[in-house]
Amino acid sequence: MIEITNLTKTYRNVCAVDDVSFTIRQGEVFGLLGPNGAGKTTTIKVLTTLSKPDAGHCKVKGYDVVLERESIKKLIGVVPQENNLDRELTAYENLRIYGMLHHVADCENKISDHLKMVDLRDRKNTAVAEFSGGMQRRLLLARSLLSQPEVLFLDEPSIGLDPQIRRHLWDVIRKTGIEGRTVVITTHYIEEAEALCHRVGILNRGKLIALDTPQNLKNGLGEYTVEFIDEKGKLIQTICRNRDEAHDKARNYSGSVTIRKTNMEDVFINLTGERI
Amino acid sequence: MDWYPVFLKEILHFRRKLLKLGYIFSAMVIPIIYLVAFGLGLGRRVNVGGMDYLSFLIPGLVAMSSMNNSYSWVASSLTLNRLYFKTFQIFIQAPIRPSAIMAGEVLAGMAKGLFASSLIIIVGFVASDHFSISCFFVITLLLNCFLFANLGVIIGMRAKSHEDTSTYSNFLIMPMAFFSGTFFPVDKIPLVLKAVVYIMPLTHTNIAIRKPVPDVESCISFGLLLIYSLVFFIYGSRLIREYNE
Repeated sequence: MIEITNLTKTYRNVCAVDDVSFTIRQGEVFGLLGPNGAGKTTTIKVLTTLSKPDAGHCKVKGYDVVLERESIKKLIGVVPQENNLDRELTAYENLRIYGMLHHVADCENKISDHLKMVDLRDRKNTAVAEFSGGMQRRLLLARSLLSQPEVLFLDEPSIGLDPQIRRHLWDVIRKTGIEGRTVVITTHYIEEAEALCHRVGILNRGKLIALDTPQNLKNGLGEYTVEFIDEKGKLIQTICRNRDEAHDKARNYSGSVTIRKTNMEDVFINLTGERI
Repeated sequence: MDWYPVFLKEILHFRRKLLKLGYIFSAMVIPIIYLVAFGLGLGRRVNVGGMDYLSFLIPGLVAMSSMNNSYSWVASSLTLNRLYFKTFQIFIQAPIRPSAIMAGEVLAGMAKGLFASSLIIIVGFVASDHFSISCFFVITLLLNCFLFANLGVIIGMRAKSHEDTSTYSNFLIMPMAFFSGTFFPVDKIPLVLKAVVYIMPLTHTNIAIRKPVPDVESCISFGLLLIYSLVFFIYGSRLIREYNE
C-alpha cells in the first residue's frame, strides 16, 4: 500500500530523514515510533504531499508522492500533529468545508454520523475555540475520516490527552483499522504503539533502526526485564530470555527488585541507548 | 466550483468580523481622514484639470481603499493560516487544483476589498455633489480588487513571518498609495519618477477609474491591469502548486 524507498529529507543542513526504506501493507495499522526530532512527522508530511523529498521515492497505492499528488490526496485522511482546525468556525463549519474540499457525497448525514462517533454531536454549532484539547483532537479525527479515506495518517493523535480520552480515541482508531483501512500512526507513547499497531518502525535521528511486530521486537530482546535501583538512585535494568533467568538475576540484587514483561520502551532503550 | 469552500471559509471569518463594529470603523477611518484632511481642508482651494479637488480625490480613495483591503486581508490571513494556524494545509492536502485554491482566496479578497470601497463610495456621495460612478468605474474597481487580492496571495505565500507582510506592505503598497495619482495627477511629476510611477498598477487604476467614458489612455491602463492580474494569478497558482514544507 505504501512504499518508501531511500527517503531523505534535509532542513537547513539537518538531515530529518536519512535514507529510510520500508513498506506498509494494505489494511495494516503501522506505527512510527521515536523521540521528538526522529523524523516521524517529516515522513508523514512527505507521504501526505505537504513536503517533497530531497532524495528517494514514496508511493501510496502505487501513486508517486511527487508526480501524482492529486491522486494521493483522494485516498488519504490526515490528523496532523498541530491542531489545524479553524478555531473561529464551529465544528459543523469545519467539517462542512472539509467535506466540500474532498467532494464528500451525502455530506450532511456523514457530518452527523462522524460527530456522533466522536461524541460531539451536541456541540455541532459550538466554535472550536471553546472546545477542550481532547474535544479538538476528536474533531480532528472525525474530520480526517469524513472523506472515508483508504489511508489514514495520524501524527501524534493523542498528544496531551488525558488517559480516558486517549483510550476512547484508541477505540475509534481500532475500529478504523478493523474497517480495513491502512492506518499510519506516529507516536512517542510506547503503550499507544503496543495497543494499536500490527507492526512498528522505530526511527531515531532520521534513521530506521528497527521494523517488526511489537511482539517480535520484544521477543528478540528477551521476554522479561529485571529492574532495581542501586545505592546512587540509578535504575538498573537487565533483560532476560525467560522467567527463570529473571529470577536468577533478581537474587543477585539486594533491596526492592521488580520482574516484569519486557515492553517496547525497553526495546527502544536497548536499540538507541536513550529513553523515548 | 472547487474554489467555493476556500472562498466560503474566508467569508465565514469575514462575516464574524463584520459583526464587530471595530472592523467597519477601521476599514473606513484612514480614507475618511484623507478625505477630510486633503479634500475638505487643503482641497477647497485646489482645482484639478477643471474639476474640484474632492471630485478628483474620491475615486482615488476608492481605488486606494480597494487596493489596501483586497491586498492586506489576503496577505495577512494567508500568512497566518499557513505559518501559525496551519489551516491552509487542509487546502493543500485536498484533491483540488492549485488554481482553485488561488481563485477562492482571491475572490474572498475581492469581496473584502469591495465591501471597504463601497463604504468609501457611500461617503463620497455624501461628501460631494459631483461624485458619480459609471459602468467602467465599477469594472475597473472589480479588476483592481482582483489584481491586489492576487498580489496578496503571492505575498501570503512568500512571507516567512507575519512581520514580513508589513515589510512588503511598506515597500509596495504604501508608495503606491501616495505616488500613483490618488492625491495628485501624475502627469506633471519629473520624468525620472514618472517611469517608476507608471509601473505601479494603482496608477493605471486611478487613470481608468476617473474616466466616465473609456478613452485610449484608460483602455491602455485597463489592458495593463488585466496583464498584471493574469501574471499575478498564474504566479500565485504556481506558488501554491509548488508548496513544500
